[in-house]
Amino acid sequence: MTCIATFYSHFGAIRFRKQCEEQGLAARAMPVPRDLSSSCGTCVRFEGTCPDPVPEEVEQVVEVIPEGYRTLWHAE
Amino acid sequence: MNEKKEMRLTVAAGLLIGAAAVALVLFGNPANMGFCIACFLRDMAGSLGLHSAAAVQYMRPEIIGLVLGSMILALVRHEWAPKGGSAPMTRFVLGFFVMIGCLMFLGCPFRMILRLAGGDGNALFGLAGFVAGILCGVFFLNRGYTLRRTYRLPTTEGAALPTILIAFLVILAAVPSLLRFSTEGPGSKHAPLLISLAAGLLVGALAQRTRLCMVGGIRDFVLFREKRLLIAFVAIFAAAFVGNLITGNFNPGFAGQPIAHTDGLWNALGMMLAGFGCVLLGGCPLRQLVLAGEGSADSAVTVLGLMAGAACAHNFGLASSGEGPTAAGRVAVVIGLVAVTLIACFNTFRKDNAK
Repeated sequence: MTCIATFYSHFGAIRFRKQCEEQGLAARAMPVPRDLSSSCGTCVRFEGTCPDPVPEEVEQVVEVIPEGYRTLWHAE
Repeated sequence: MNEKKEMRLTVAAGLLIGAAAVALVLFGNPANMGFCIACFLRDMAGSLGLHSAAAVQYMRPEIIGLVLGSMILALVRHEWAPKGGSAPMTRFVLGFFVMIGCLMFLGCPFRMILRLAGGDGNALFGLAGFVAGILCGVFFLNRGYTLRRTYRLPTTEGAALPTILIAFLVILAAVPSLLRFSTEGPGSKHAPLLISLAAGLLVGALAQRTRLCMVGGIRDFVLFREKRLLIAFVAIFAAAFVGNLITGNFNPGFAGQPIAHTDGLWNALGMMLAGFGCVLLGGCPLRQLVLAGEGSADSAVTVLGLMAGAACAHNFGLASSGEGPTAAGRVAVVIGLVAVTLIACFNTFRKDNAK
């Protein structure tokens, strides 16, 4: 499935994208979609499932669904 | 997700914002200064008596409107969230030096676009420096720069700055004798209160909806080849340019431009400092106001840093004038570039980033 992870920092996103690529998952860093968040950071769109454990730099992970997004994980 | 719709909205917002800026000049704001976040925060600092430069003192309703417009829309869209705790003092210092850079150039990135649209060629040097500063910031972003995560905070943290600004608005309308007002100079030139406030509310809401950011446009293009925010930048320029042509306020050239000087090197270095600092902050001064409206205490602290920078700039002769930069201002910009670089280094090359 297609997921989007958002992060507390740009570098967190870059590091996560590299981790995805090392695991053979297609991943792309891009600006956070406006309909997902009003914040303007970097997110990673990747093919896979919610990582376990979730890296500490991750703010939230959502699954992209036809209606929009379904939250898989959100930091406290 | 509808990217085309989002793009159309962004372009429309940019055009509206550019038109609002031209209209504010027609209604009384200084030339090429329909909006200038740096100048307006500087005027507000003067109005509160934080500096004593008599020519730049006015409680600008546009700033109040920008924050409240963003807050209202964020509340309506359930996006308002009090949060903070991401290196507040570092953000204060970055805000301080961003203002020093802006007042060397005589304008924030927003006014830089409006100056270009008014024919002020000096702003081209500012733009070159601004891009260079953003590239410096991106260099550190790609190597691990972070001010660490934000945290959910109590409601009062997010509501504090908007509440203070509402209090300023009440004082401005009901007991203006508490404030200082310029009788000549840029601070004396302003649109009527309600028009300024309405323009601020409109632009604040549009900027919240579109995440408009003068730094973000260039940063996102460099990082991702993403053009959306850059196109907003162009739309503001286009609307202001056409508006200036229609209203007879387009005066191409370098010398004699309103509230500007012709020292290309220091125009560039001032905006380089602003661009560099803004990337490290995650957004331009306008974006900081909008984020503060959305409940970000970190951005509210940044706004206080910008105001403190403005107060010091005028108390210690660091701000430029139409005659050019001051010697003290040049020293302050160099100190600012060193300080911002050190902040970038300390928050990039850390042990935990090497994991």
